[in-house]
Amino acid sequence: MEQTLVAEAKDAPRAGDLAFDRLYRSSRDDVYAYVASLLRDAPAAEEVTAAAFERAYRKRNRFDPERGEPRAWLFGIARNAALDELRRRGRQAELTAEPADLESFGAAEGAEHSERRLAVSTALEQLEPAERELIALKFFAGLENREIARVLGVSESNAGTKLHRAMTKLREACDGDA
Amino acid sequence: METPRDDRLAEELRALRPAPRPEFTAELDERAAAGFPRRSRLPRFSFDRLRAIQPRRMLLPAGGVAVIAIAVTSAVVGISGTSEESGRRTVEATAPSPEDTSSTQPPRRLKEFAAPIAPVESAAAEPLRGIERMSGAASAPSFDGGGRFVPGSAELASKPGVRNRAVERSAQIVLGADPADVGEDSSKVFEAVHAHDGIVMRSSTREGKPGVAGARFELLIPSAKLSDALAALSEIDEVRSRHEATADITAPTVNVSELLQDSKARIDSLLGQLQEAETESEREAVEAELRQERRHRARLRASLQNLQRRADLSRVLVRIETGAAENPTEGGAWSVGDALDDAGKILAVAAAVTVVALAILGPIALIALLAWLAHRAWIRRERRRVLS
Repeated sequence: MEQTLVAEAKDAPRAGDLAFDRLYRSSRDDVYAYVASLLRDAPAAEEVTAAAFERAYRKRNRFDPERGEPRAWLFGIARNAALDELRRRGRQAELTAEPADLESFGAAEGAEHSERRLAVSTALEQLEPAERELIALKFFAGLENREIARVLGVSESNAGTKLHRAMTKLREACDGDA
Repeated sequence: METPRDDRLAEELRALRPAPRPEFTAELDERAAAGFPRRSRLPRFSFDRLRAIQPRRMLLPAGGVAVIAIAVTSAVVGISGTSEESGRRTVEATAPSPEDTSSTQPPRRLKEFAAPIAPVESAAAEPLRGIERMSGAASAPSFDGGGRFVPGSAELASKPGVRNRAVERSAQIVLGADPADVGEDSSKVFEAVHAHDGIVMRSSTREGKPGVAGARFELLIPSAKLSDALAALSEIDEVRSRHEATADITAPTVNVSELLQDSKARIDSLLGQLQEAETESEREAVEAELRQERRHRARLRASLQNLQRRADLSRVLVRIETGAAENPTEGGAWSVGDALDDAGKILAVAAAVTVVALAILGPIALIALLAWLAHRAWIRRERRRVLS
């Protein structure tokens, strides 16, 4: 997805606002999903999502397209906001120990798949937080590997390798639970 | 390459994707449409929140605050110390010093002038009349019963920084006048001199066209009235320049006074020897020595009188000039040169202020930068730790 947040001189603010609006529309639910998966707390996720968009809006003129895609930039801001919230609240232990809330994961929508999804959710809980974050960026936020690499500050191949390991571990955990 | 199992797993993961509440998305859309209006930026202060912070986490900010406080305190103390030093230098500059000094400020007043020129005989009885007596009468220098010089109080006149000093003063004033006013101004100079018990040593006036006409006066003004006299002379016409200088003559005054007392003692001794002389040749030898000592004493008295006059009477040179001033920056209309000079001075002051400000703000900014970098590094480390 190619977007430009900073436009040419005369109509820069309007073009920048429009670009940011497009980014917001396309990323709102993805950011929330990613932040919620990190925080495991819906109210906090809403607060942090709003704060992340607000922060990104304030910084929109500082976005440099040459340094990465707008979504990667936005998720980087959201990630920092979420990690700051976790750090502030000392939620690390809770992050690894708290069982999944199936309601919040939409597990109730299909009864025939609920058992399988419960297994996946349980397996997800067994992953390391960093691995779960990779899964969230990939499947909850829908980022490409290069965007994930940009968000995490690693190379694209490194991001792909880590994601592959996380998926393998998740699959094994699912199979083990099954 | 993804397998069907991976596709299924990915599908199940996407199904687990947390979804925001519609109320939240609606509210967020409203805020987005409004340009994300800023919420309260200041976090609410809470003692509970403060208590929840681990003590070790407060070490870094507390250390940073302490370092900044120390830096600011050091800077303030340094500046105030510099100001005090500069103030002390100013005081020393206005006080008489052993070396010649030159100042545009009015000199300190001498003790009330008693007589324009003291007779030679009285000079020996009151050899230090011209010495400043700023410590009061009780501490003024005097002679004891044996004719020895006694410095005032615990102060010794020969020591630097003491207040009982003989100071020779001189001044020069250049007045600008129209050629037609030279005569009238000259009369006013005489009036001012007489009004302050001064003496006109020499005077000369010239008439003619501008640049040629003028006058010159060499004056002796009682040092005690020098400031008033200079003020009166300055009011006669436009002051083109005014310069005052001081020279400390305490040391030679004290030396001559001591030599004079030694000479007196020597003469007394010789007089005693003369009375006891038994032979004519012995008497003649003593009388010859006595004559020589008296001549020596007379010379010392003259020297002391001269020193006393130099302290009592200030030499003032007054010149009345006509035509354009030699230095256009002194008086007259404000010219381009004046503007450039003023601009230079303003720039110099601004540069000095900037240097001082940088001297204060530089270290503080450096500390703040280091603290900010350390804080950023710490934040990044903590973020990594959250997910590790």
